Amino acid sequence: MRSSLDLRFFELYRSQEYLGLLLDGALISLGLTVAAGIAGFMVAFALAALRFWKVPVLDYMAAAYIDFIRNTPLIVQLFFIAFGLPMLFGYVWPFWCHALFALTINFSGYFAEILRSGFASTQKGQLEAAAALNLSNSTIFKSIIVPQTLIKMFPSLSSQFIFLFLTTGVISEIGVEDLTHAGLYIDSRTFRSFEVFITLTALYVALALTLKAGLQYLFARTLGRRMA
Amino acid sequence: MPKNAEDAIVKMEKVNKWFDDFQAICDVDLTIFEGERIVICGPSGSGKSTLIRCLNGLEQHQSGTITVHGTELTGKDSAVRQVRENVGMVFQQFNLFPHLTVLENCTLAPISNGKLDENAAHEKAMEYLERVQIPEQADKLPGQLSGGQQQRVAIARALCMEPKLMLFDEPTSALDPEMIKEVLDTMVSLAEDGMSMICVTHELNFAKSVAHRIIFMDNGRIVEDQPPDDFFERPKSARAKLFLDQILSH
Ligand SMILES: Nc1ncnc2c1ncn2[C@@H]1O[C@H](COP(=O)(O)OP(=O)(O)OP(=O)(O)O)[C@@H](O)[C@H]1O
Ligand SMILES: [Mg+2]
Repeated sequence: MRSSLDLRFFELYRSQEYLGLLLDGALISLGLTVAAGIAGFMVAFALAALRFWKVPVLDYMAAAYIDFIRNTPLIVQLFFIAFGLPMLFGYVWPFWCHALFALTINFSGYFAEILRSGFASTQKGQLEAAAALNLSNSTIFKSIIVPQTLIKMFPSLSSQFIFLFLTTGVISEIGVEDLTHAGLYIDSRTFRSFEVFITLTALYVALALTLKAGLQYLFARTLGRRMA
Repeated sequence: MPKNAEDAIVKMEKVNKWFDDFQAICDVDLTIFEGERIVICGPSGSGKSTLIRCLNGLEQHQSGTITVHGTELTGKDSAVRQVRENVGMVFQQFNLFPHLTVLENCTLAPISNGKLDENAAHEKAMEYLERVQIPEQADKLPGQLSGGQQQRVAIARALCMEPKLMLFDEPTSALDPEMIKEVLDTMVSLAEDGMSMICVTHELNFAKSVAHRIIFMDNGRIVEDQPPDDFFERPKSARAKLFLDQILSH
């Protein structure tokens, strides 16, 4: 029996249109992930700091937010932001804005939890030495706790980021033309599911490894130098 | 040496400290004068660390009064910070900041406390790193140094704040035997410069040659407070005799 897999495998890649869609999709996936990663990290940092300093009321709100985000599916968060809230507030944004907003919120919950546990696990001896040197609380936080947390938690932050990148495919569900969207579109036009999805797989692997290498590069050139 | 109460740099009166319902410090009275070098010894759990940690506010006592350089440690943040300005501390586990270079460990406090600008802080740090004989390690991270070197950096780091009193909590206990001497030598040279020091240590030779007074603690109380010759030759309490026998038999 003839398999439907044959030399036509490469036909996909003769189509300028499909290659263009895949490339654009990859760039959109990558761009939104990086943007949401940066914004989400900043939100996460603020949340974790509120928790660390036990700022009255805001501490509990941050805790609730983090738990809430980490215990609801991304796709539900996404639909809520893309379809739920607009009904309430009547705003109209491009699809990618909804996606960026939802991803930022989603990323922030996961990063915040990692940062919070990092802040909280600063060694007692470090804090005592800092206190004995009469450092102010803000200096202790800025110069001791934060850098040590970023160094210690880099591997967790990095793998969480890669994992979240791999979940971003769901933004195709609200019409964002990301990499998954491109794959699904090409599949629907060609019915070459095996080729399409193995291509998507390869592209996601390549992008994930690129992101990981990029983070590693940045880390090695900054805080990584501060590890003995 | 002047012995007027007003010259005391540390004055503890009827100090008590509990951890939950365990009493770690019982009715301690202690007066220390400028330039004095005190060695505190005693069995494990007798409250030595707790006592000196009360002196810079790392622990808060619950009753009695502690006055350091004229400031009473009331538990108020401002009092604690005032006291810490003049009191340096060296820990058993060094507690250097692992992500900062040796030099940065030394300059962090003077710069961020607004004591010195960056250049002056560097100069001072190098001066003290030379004192403890490791200026060549200034740009390394603590993790790249031996234990003895790390402890000497910790001493230099504390000195950069120009303290009037240094607290040492078993500074050589975490060190390999061959590194103990280099740290003790550093402490001896500090003593020779007239630094007021309170050292928790079981290094008897150091105690004999450097201390003005030996304080022996047991169960949270000060049991003996004597010059070293008297303490080692004629301990008054049975508890101290037993302790010395145990230590000397090693
Ligand atoms: N944070 C704490 N919480 C509860 N108990 C404590 C705490 N710190 C010390 N203790 C208890 O107080 C007592 C005195 O402790 P401390 O560390 O002052 O003893 P030490 O004389 O320094 O002993 P060592 O020679 O082992 O260092 C011990 O019984 C100890 O278990
Ligand atoms: Mg101790």
